[in-house]
Amino acid sequence: MTAAPTLPADQQRLAEDIYRLMVAQGAMFAMDTPIRQTLASLAAFLARREGRDRAELEAAIDLALSADSRFTREVVDGEVRFVTTRQGAYVPREDADTHSFKQRLHDPEHPLPIDDISVVVSTSRPAITTVEPVYISDYWQVQLAAAPVEPEPEAVTAPEAPAPVAEPVLGEVPLTPEAAPAPVEAAAPEPAPAALEVPAPAPVEAAAPEPAPAALEVPAPAPVEAAAPEPAPAALEIPAPAPVVEAPAPVVAPAPRPAQPPRSTVFTLSDGTAIDLRRPVDEIMAEYGDLLARVLAERLERDPLQRIVSFGRKYYPEANLASFGKNDLRKIRDYILERNEPLLDTEIIADLYYHNPRQADYEGFRFSLNYRLHREKDFEFVGVEGAYLWATRGLTITSGKRVKAAEMGQITSYLVEGYDDSSELQSVEAVRQSGSVTRLLTFFEWEYGVLPLDAGLAALLPPPLLPDQRTAVLRFESPQHYTTYLVEVRFPAGNRGGWLQGLEEFFREHVAPGALITITRTGEPNVFHIVYEEGPEQTERLLTFDEKKNRFAFANVSFYCVVDEEQLPTQSRYGRLNRLKAFPMGERRKAELMLEHVSETIGDQVGTPAAPRYAVTLDDLYVAFNVLRPGSRAYLKALLERGEDFSADESTPGLYYYAPAPRASAGEVEEEEDEALEERPPLRQRYGRYDEDE
Amino acid sequence: MDAKVIVFGETAIDRLVQWLRATGQPQDIMDLVRQYLEILSKAVREENE
Repeated sequence: MTAAPTLPADQQRLAEDIYRLMVAQGAMFAMDTPIRQTLASLAAFLARREGRDRAELEAAIDLALSADSRFTREVVDGEVRFVTTRQGAYVPREDADTHSFKQRLHDPEHPLPIDDISVVVSTSRPAITTVEPVYISDYWQVQLAAAPVEPEPEAVTAPEAPAPVAEPVLGEVPLTPEAAPAPVEAAAPEPAPAALEVPAPAPVEAAAPEPAPAALEVPAPAPVEAAAPEPAPAALEIPAPAPVVEAPAPVVAPAPRPAQPPRSTVFTLSDGTAIDLRRPVDEIMAEYGDLLARVLAERLERDPLQRIVSFGRKYYPEANLASFGKNDLRKIRDYILERNEPLLDTEIIADLYYHNPRQADYEGFRFSLNYRLHREKDFEFVGVEGAYLWATRGLTITSGKRVKAAEMGQITSYLVEGYDDSSELQSVEAVRQSGSVTRLLTFFEWEYGVLPLDAGLAALLPPPLLPDQRTAVLRFESPQHYTTYLVEVRFPAGNRGGWLQGLEEFFREHVAPGALITITRTGEPNVFHIVYEEGPEQTERLLTFDEKKNRFAFANVSFYCVVDEEQLPTQSRYGRLNRLKAFPMGERRKAELMLEHVSETIGDQVGTPAAPRYAVTLDDLYVAFNVLRPGSRAYLKALLERGEDFSADESTPGLYYYAPAPRASAGEVEEEEDEALEERPPLRQRYGRYDEDE
Repeated sequence: MDAKVIVFGETAIDRLVQWLRATGQPQDIMDLVRQYLEILSKAVREENE
């Protein structure tokens, strides 16, 4: 604490009195916090308290306090003020901050070159869902603008004068005994502590100023006048107090940025596609939209932080996902099993979570549910765009499991091998525009309720939503019978074809092989109508498959639909079809074997017993081949052309001959004849793969 | 920003994340691409100006 100087007794007493007064006023201040009072306020207070002349007292106070080292005299806007602190003389605080963490963080000493400004920006996710501007230090902006990237010369600017310290200023409350509220005066700005911000010590007056360090291009600090008041002489002559002069802040203007060459606005994709960002976004989207969407989706998928996740075509921030625990998943699974059919995500949300679509977070919650279920192995997505359906482990979607998926995939592989001729009857474009597809039903399709997913059906039905989606479940409605069927669409994968299954009941009850059926799109993406042309009742002896005896037979069947007579497997026209062997499904995928068997069975024997030769037309082959397995005419033609034992009749289009190679020696022929007595088909013996019991 | 340094799908992707969070709704991939192009165009334009 600064001691009171030696002064005349009355001045000393006056200064001591005022000091106690001001310290009492700032009793709650910090020790070094300035306590200010104007000379006028002090004089007014003491004049009233002591009953003295105010002008005389003002001069005495000014003289006494100016001579006391505990007070600092300052003049602001022509008004004299005295400053002191609880610890004595006021010493401005040093706030020189030349090596702060903030500065070191933003202005590193040896910066690395920047290839991408985004790496400078923090990748940490903000905690709140608002768009917040990302602060990028000007330093980095300058660094990025300088091309090529090189460390800039050490053009260190002088440290800016620290802003005036926002110290709590004692209110200019007049020290009146009545403590009448006085008008609040504007707080006087703190004079810039110029002497403290200069690295070199402040030069004393008349002393040669020391040159500032060259590296810091700081102008020599202006000598601060009257930073400390001169001690007053003992005489009564009152020297005019030197006003405090604010030192101008030595701010060095930033060096003008060197002229930069014009920046490129063209970026290049990995496949070499160059896109100019000066073009309107709509134009870019029209030209490259699909390509950019694909690239962006791949990049987001590979993002190690997985900041944006996707489900189908929708994208959502990972941080915004709602969480679903094991209890939620168990609840959803139980509910699907209870309903015994795949359920829409909206149904699950409405029935289990009571979420309303009008709620603001509904779509986010819905996305979260779909995203989470997709990641669980107990759930399978069986929906399409616009109808997100979920099945679960243990749920039987379609009742018919007579055909295994693996076997059907191989049987329908001809569709992905390029033998799909469905577009010859109805082009893909026509199917898309009309929204319906019409086709003739074959025996295999009728018997098993299966439709190969050819180009026509693929154009009509929605594609898979997810890249790894195997199945979609559609609802087929029959407006003629007011019945509904769940149809499972198995999408093609790799070298396996696709198909639809689940129409067995509809086909067997309402139509016959050879019927013309039409499948039509509806307003719902997962709902279709299936209709057929109704006709008068017909009863025909049609081919049927006795599953118990595992053999084909003819039986009387009544039906009420219009059929193509060429495709109807009647006994009168295709009487030999009941001789077809009911191969197990695993064997029916061998198309060459089936073709040979069919040719032998329904062909006319035009050769000799020793060298049999069977004549068969393509139309008959098509009908008979499609009893055992699906196959297009194009596929049959390819098989016939490929088969070494098949030959086409040059004179009759569509007629083929099948001449099986000699099977065995003479001795074996006798055995074969013996076996023939046992009514074993020669093919079975030839390949030796099948037993009668199969 | 110099467009030459743009890696589509990586550069300024955090701004896209911020936009997506601000929307509060799942967005279609085409809307995402459109917004991303806007962000990149703006970044390039600002730098050139």
